[in-house]
Amino acid sequence: MENINNSIAVLVRKLNPITKLLIVFCLGIGCLIYPLPFVGYGVLCLLVILGILIGQGKQVLKLIVGFGIPVTLMLLFIQGLYSPNNKTMIADFGFAQMGLEGTMYALKISSTLLIFLAAFYLMLQTTKNSETVAALTQSGLNMKLGYLILASLNVVPQMQRKVKVIQEAQESRGVETSGSFIQRTKAFLPLIGPVVLSSLTDAQERGMTLETRGFGISGDKPTSYIKVETTGLDIVLRMIAICFLISSLLPRIL
Amino acid sequence: MTSTLIQVNHFSYRYNQETEVALKNVHFEVASGEFVAIIGANGSGKSTLCNALVGLIPNYFVGFSEGSIIVDEKDTAAVSVGELSQTIGLVFQNPFNQLSYTADTVAEELAFGLGNRGVPREQMFSKIKEIAELIQIDELLDKNPLELSGGQVQRVALASAIILEPKILVLDECTTQLDPIGSRQIMNIIKKLNENGITIVMVDHDMERVAKLADKVYVIQHGTIVLGGTPEEVFCSPHLAEFSVNPPDYYEITKKFIKPGYSERDFALTESQAISLLQEVILYEDRNQKPQA
Amino acid sequence: MRQSFFRRFLQTQFSTKALVLIPIAVGINLIGGTLSSTLKLPLFLDMIGTVLIACLAGPWVAALCGLATNLFLSIVTNPVFLPFSIVSVLCGLVTGYLVKAGFFKNKLGVVITWLACTLTNAISAAFITIFIYGGATGINSSSLFTAALIATTKEIMLSVFSTSILENLIDKGIVFLIAYWLVKKIPRRFSSQYAPLDKDYLLKGRKGS
Repeated sequence: MENINNSIAVLVRKLNPITKLLIVFCLGIGCLIYPLPFVGYGVLCLLVILGILIGQGKQVLKLIVGFGIPVTLMLLFIQGLYSPNNKTMIADFGFAQMGLEGTMYALKISSTLLIFLAAFYLMLQTTKNSETVAALTQSGLNMKLGYLILASLNVVPQMQRKVKVIQEAQESRGVETSGSFIQRTKAFLPLIGPVVLSSLTDAQERGMTLETRGFGISGDKPTSYIKVETTGLDIVLRMIAICFLISSLLPRIL
Repeated sequence: MTSTLIQVNHFSYRYNQETEVALKNVHFEVASGEFVAIIGANGSGKSTLCNALVGLIPNYFVGFSEGSIIVDEKDTAAVSVGELSQTIGLVFQNPFNQLSYTADTVAEELAFGLGNRGVPREQMFSKIKEIAELIQIDELLDKNPLELSGGQVQRVALASAIILEPKILVLDECTTQLDPIGSRQIMNIIKKLNENGITIVMVDHDMERVAKLADKVYVIQHGTIVLGGTPEEVFCSPHLAEFSVNPPDYYEITKKFIKPGYSERDFALTESQAISLLQEVILYEDRNQKPQA
Repeated sequence: MRQSFFRRFLQTQFSTKALVLIPIAVGINLIGGTLSSTLKLPLFLDMIGTVLIACLAGPWVAALCGLATNLFLSIVTNPVFLPFSIVSVLCGLVTGYLVKAGFFKNKLGVVITWLACTLTNAISAAFITIFIYGGATGINSSSLFTAALIATTKEIMLSVFSTSILENLIDKGIVFLIAYWLVKKIPRRFSSQYAPLDKDYLLKGRKGS
């Protein structure tokens, strides 16, 4: 997490993680429900502006360009040219015709994808994972699921570091990591075997630790060291998010 | 005035699908405030015994048991490990397997056990502060536990156990993976905890340390307690070598050079005993040599 | 009533001992990804841990492990992976139940588990790719292959499905090969802690009290 401390960044960071999750969800689903793709691109522009305001503009744009453009092109190719729903043709490429219905569908999916991507990215950049989990458990998420999310986020990088260290050691000892497929596999397997097996015994001891710290004992309602507040701003933003979702439903119902 | 805190009643245990029993008819008692050491060769059942004392056997591990273990009037088979942890805490060898892996800071790590018990957030702060001072980790509270050294993490593990205010602390080779400085720091804290009234059951390989700290020593071999008593009784036993245990180095050395008449004792188990013995020897030599000079 | 059943289900299926395996298995799943990129393969190999955990702790823990893997990928790399959680969960369940039925004991059983898992994965992944993503989730070798198939067959459904099945057949094949090799290496002292109780009370021939 970068430390950009303008007032907007601080404000976003202080929001309740549940509020942020709700906004991500409502924006994404809302744009998916709304019949036309342009709302989605409008929302995406707003997200980029928000990203710039909190000092994440470059990263958000990189994400959109790096992931969004290829996906959009691919979807335009698949749906625009070959969707069975295509009735109104808008262009002819010789080998195939481009249909309006498929094109619109492709644009809507790509815009929804990008909104989820950008909004989720901004949320992660402004929220500590432990805060999100604390907020979720305080509003009823099972403790064990909360543990799983946090423990995975902490354990996996540690294991990846372990593998990398062994990999580097292997390379420095001259073990072939290039060469034919069989050769490379032969070099890699003995490398991960010990990591996997030692990790399993580690897991057993970590379970002992959880037990002796009273993890999951029934009876007491667990409390958290991390304080999660719900301010007036949270309530207002949640209302707006839900209103956005409902208003995107209206054109479908009416 | 001492009361019995732990009662191990003819306890036997076999892990699921193993062909050998891990503990065989183990029977002993620990009094309140005592410092008990358990020694023995690798694979003799010391760790199994520790896991049984804190209730991980039979509640966490899968296997078969016989007999019972009563800790502070609670049968370990009848209550959960979590409930028992308010009475008896465990610290074991690998420091990094004693973290919850859910905490970003040491303070959160210490709060983990309190949170599971439903301790209100406001009370957590004072408890964390108090324990951090006692275990000397106050300057680590804001650090990420995964980025600390082994010795530091082990102190955090110790603090996480102590913060639940247990009457007994079980230490299973808790300094084996640490450097000499780290392990000395841990042992100093443990000594202090014992002085504060916490009962200690410690598995250790450092015989001199055992002799120095323990009130009582039990030797375990093939899952059975084969010898027990004060450090002196145990380390002076002629059968010690049969149980693959060696007395402290001081014992061997002093036994060799102390001749009858030097002192009332003819052996030392710890550094301070050896020093005082050596002083007596020097005094004796001085006394006997002066007239001739 | 329903609540208490759910809670009991959680309590029995997800003991602490099973739960702590999941982060490790997620790690193993992702090491598979590292493996495939080291071997320069256009595959995921992201189910080795799930298969291991299915062998140790059963179908539901494996399913949860699949969910956790996709959750992790969504948080750390790209939320595109989130809908594919369903695929991982289904694969975990299928593998877990087949292992439970004794299919992992011999090589033929492993082959059957591999094919069942491949089919589950291919069908469910194809459904998600088509109905949630409209046919592609990015530009990579498999989506290019799909696009080429679509261009020749003009059939989106068929093309996505064929790509998916071909990709999964190879991917799961390597996964099951490695997992089978690893499962046999797990020390009995460890795996017996997850196995059902043997029959003898304390020891054969010894009288129980």
